[in-house]
Amino acid sequence: MSHEDPGEFEKRTREVLEESTARLDGRTLSRLTQARHAALEKQGRPARPAWRTVMPLGAAAAGVLAVVMITGPGGEGTALGPANSAVDDLELLSDAPDFVDDGEDLEFYEWAAGEIES
Amino acid sequence: MTSRALEQFLASVEKRAFKIAQLGLRNDDDALDAVQDAMMKLVQSYGSRNSEEWRPLFYRILANRIHDMQRRRTVRGRIMAWLPMRTDDEDEEYDPVAQAPSPEVTPARRLEIDEAIGTLEVAIQELPPRQQQAFLLRNFEGLDVAETASAMGCSEGSVKTHYFRALESLRARLGEVF
Repeated sequence: MSHEDPGEFEKRTREVLEESTARLDGRTLSRLTQARHAALEKQGRPARPAWRTVMPLGAAAAGVLAVVMITGPGGEGTALGPANSAVDDLELLSDAPDFVDDGEDLEFYEWAAGEIES
Repeated sequence: MTSRALEQFLASVEKRAFKIAQLGLRNDDDALDAVQDAMMKLVQSYGSRNSEEWRPLFYRILANRIHDMQRRRTVRGRIMAWLPMRTDDEDEEYDPVAQAPSPEVTPARRLEIDEAIGTLEVAIQELPPRQQQAFLLRNFEGLDVAETASAMGCSEGSVKTHYFRALESLRARLGEVF
């Protein structure tokens, strides 16, 4: 196409992206509809109770702390990687405000902590 | 009334939002999760706001969610690397329905579109994150500079810079094709 015309290039890229979006498969479209309905059902409902946010976060943080203790300076599990990485991870987890809203990830970190401890 | 307006708004943005998340996360399931989280957050926290504010707010939430997921993926990768003989793919099954394309397009046209989409999407995925965001919000979603700045949490000048650089990169890479 005529890439000498900036407007034409922008128009062309937009058209291709629109085409890509128009060709989303039925399963994706269905899941988007479900997501929309699930979101609308939340309208007017209070946010998650505080105890549900604090307890899983504490469990996840405890798991990561266990990793720090195992792999930190003087620890035994040197094969698990540098201690600084675990500290960075702990900071990242405590720094992520949306972390507590994701039950799937909480389950993962709880499971990972259990795997490391066992 | 507000509920109806919210539904119409979400229905109007969900496909493009998914595509933006898909390009940022390179994973359909993660993209769907990001879009659903953004929808829920908008409805719960900002549903009572003026409807004109919803679009930049929604894309701000989505951008933050994509960023969180990218960072979390990095942490998850580190933890998985610590655990012996485990992979993320063990429990995944091939789903032919999920892989099936939409059936309406002829094979020749599909091939042409596939090539164009594939080339463009790879080029977009390789842009720096802020350029990618500016390009998709401005060019694809159609936000104006002020709305894009609100969605990206930066100045309008930064939006213009990111967008200009994104266009230059894409034009340099795709000029021959497009």
